[in-house]
Amino acid sequence: MADRSDVVGTVAGPGDDPNEFVFVTPSDKSIKTGEFITYTVPVEDEPRSVFARVTNRELIRGLPEGFLADPEVGPETVAATLGVPTDDTELYRLTATVIGYYDTNMTTFANPRQLPDPGTPLSIAPHQQLETVLPNLGCETDSTDVTTLDGVAHIGWLLNRPAEATNLHIPIEEFASTHLAILASTGSGKSYTASVLIEEMMRPTSRASLLVFDPHGEYDTLAEMQGEEAFQGEDGYEPSIEYYDPERLRVRISELEIGDVMAILDNPSNRMQERLSTAWRAMQRQESRTWGIDELIAEMERIYGDDDASVGALEWRLRRSIERNDLFHPEENVPLDEIVDPGQCTVLQMDTLDRRDQQLITTVLLRRMYRERLGDVRDRDSDIEHPIFALFEEGHRFAPASGEAPSLGIMRTITSEGRKFGFGLGIISQRPSKIDQDVLSQCGTQISMQIKNPSDQDAIKNSVEAAGEDVLRELPGLTPGQAVVSGDAMNTPALIQVRQRRTSHGAGSRPVIEEWREAYDERQREPTQSESADFGEGDSTGVQSLD
Amino acid sequence: MHRSTTRQQYGDEAMTDTPTNVDSPDLDSCVRIGSIVSSNSHLDYVAEVYKERDCDRPPELHEREFGQPVFIKKTVDGTEHAVMGVIYDTQLVDPDQGRTGPRLAQDDQAQFTPGYIEERTTLAGVALLGTAEIAEDGGIQEPTHQMPRWTLEVEDTVFQCPDQVTVSFHTVDDQIQLAYMDRLLDIAGDLGSEVIVALIGRLRGMLPDNDPNQRVLDVVEQNVQWQAREQRGMV
Repeated sequence: MADRSDVVGTVAGPGDDPNEFVFVTPSDKSIKTGEFITYTVPVEDEPRSVFARVTNRELIRGLPEGFLADPEVGPETVAATLGVPTDDTELYRLTATVIGYYDTNMTTFANPRQLPDPGTPLSIAPHQQLETVLPNLGCETDSTDVTTLDGVAHIGWLLNRPAEATNLHIPIEEFASTHLAILASTGSGKSYTASVLIEEMMRPTSRASLLVFDPHGEYDTLAEMQGEEAFQGEDGYEPSIEYYDPERLRVRISELEIGDVMAILDNPSNRMQERLSTAWRAMQRQESRTWGIDELIAEMERIYGDDDASVGALEWRLRRSIERNDLFHPEENVPLDEIVDPGQCTVLQMDTLDRRDQQLITTVLLRRMYRERLGDVRDRDSDIEHPIFALFEEGHRFAPASGEAPSLGIMRTITSEGRKFGFGLGIISQRPSKIDQDVLSQCGTQISMQIKNPSDQDAIKNSVEAAGEDVLRELPGLTPGQAVVSGDAMNTPALIQVRQRRTSHGAGSRPVIEEWREAYDERQREPTQSESADFGEGDSTGVQSLD
Repeated sequence: MHRSTTRQQYGDEAMTDTPTNVDSPDLDSCVRIGSIVSSNSHLDYVAEVYKERDCDRPPELHEREFGQPVFIKKTVDGTEHAVMGVIYDTQLVDPDQGRTGPRLAQDDQAQFTPGYIEERTTLAGVALLGTAEIAEDGGIQEPTHQMPRWTLEVEDTVFQCPDQVTVSFHTVDDQIQLAYMDRLLDIAGDLGSEVIVALIGRLRGMLPDNDPNQRVLDVVEQNVQWQAREQRGMV
């Protein structure tokens, strides 16, 4: 197979590990660490291309370090003085780990259990072959034009190759059903990568039903997809991007569970908890789903009498926490059929809600959608008759390792069971160590970007099965926009450069210096006002707490 | 093969680049140091240093010192070449040594023995470094540090090499070169690093202080000295 001109090195012998071998290359064949190389071995009398990943590179022959004594005198000058030849003198010894050959029946890598013989020529793996075999695309040959496949997401290209040379298309179905985790420290491109995936999922070949929980309002540029030619299908398809601002986000009170209510009340006493759960269960048994706090209190008074002290205290707490919060409403609810639809990406903008409200609306929405998906799979009447994928920016808020979020339970349920019901989750987070381990470990596909914090690295090591040592070693050294893709969507982990977004990016840092200067200039232009004397008595304490 | 062609190219340029000295040294008028008497190998010769009776002007002590570059003229195929060498070792020979009995001759009289008058001699080891063509103006051109292919003969005269010639022999394409170093280290054995240090010291003195090659020579010298000390168990 290998024409001798493609050969970049020659196998020297086995390495330390059972799957490792050592090969030698001259200096002009520059092979980077992480590069994929290939050689041919006969497997069952058929020649197969075996892939291997370069893991280490060391110099075995080169100019002595004594030649580097003076920084102003180049080593090649010293070498020339001594008549030491400097052209092509360096020899490198590289270590590579065998990944395997692509088994077309199993559509994944199979280990040949046999290291290459010394002297075996090695070549750089061809682009198209890598594009076929690295992601878990289930191709029947080891070299397919993957751009023609449906339901693949072009996420970027291999980092070791020139830009756009070896493009990586990951199967959307894999990560949308077995869940996805995008883990990266802040500023390294989490939401950028997520947006790239959203763009791919909204293309005419996929037409996904997407829901984005956006606590920061970072996804407002996605609307640019509408009207963009790349997203229009021949049949007139165009993705629809819906934004739900906090004004439109409502939770019907009857959708809350007793645990949710307990979580938002201020320290209810045991007696109050008992009163409340009895009344709440009574209300939920009722036919009507549109009851409010008044009805609940009336029910409590009916059961415990209208002079019960605990009911009085509960009434005050319920009115303060639920009735005065615009999020909760006796009747209104976010209509599910409006927020999920094939070819529609709904962004729930929760940037003005406080964390507790964000968690509650998420909890209630997830619970309702999960119920509908369950119903659909069991052939019951359902509002959602297609699989859905929900993406969580700041995933640690909704599934915190500390367990203090009402949404954690439903998140755990969906990550462990959702696959069967066509309900996928995508968790985006900069603090993997703060995400619940059960949730994180169920995310089958991982896109890990630069992470330097050791406890976050440990969290990835402990909960991400597919993250091998070589993946973890790469994490601190990545630069923004570079990522390691691993897990169910891949046959083997790969280092990639995330592609450019088609829509513009809205989540960058603010131009602080510019804004300061503008604000200062603004101030300078204002006419100076003399402040009126404050005749108030003592310090103002603001609005007094009524507790 | 590859190396020799590049050197050929360098050589051509060196011809033009080498500073043509106003008082171009005449290779014929150089001080004669001695004549070849034997050899230990193709690159390692022994010369007997001239004394009063051997020539008009025997070399003075500083003209035949350790590390002195020398040359031997050879005409090869009609072209005059200079075979370049260096004094890497010296040895004293005294046939009278150990004879402590009474003598017939007085101390101020020369000693008469059959065939010889005054046998005390100094031998100098000459290691060959490379070759160059002798130009018409008396200087050298196309220096090469490759192993000389020609054999010297007994009674070939060894001349002291003038500084300008030493510099032009070591300059290839404006770049100082001591490509013979590994061979010289091998021939000179224990004194190998010293002879190279002595050569570098000479070259340094011949080059202007601000010459960029000075620093290159520093690095080479450091390396040689360090390696020698390492071998001798100093460090």
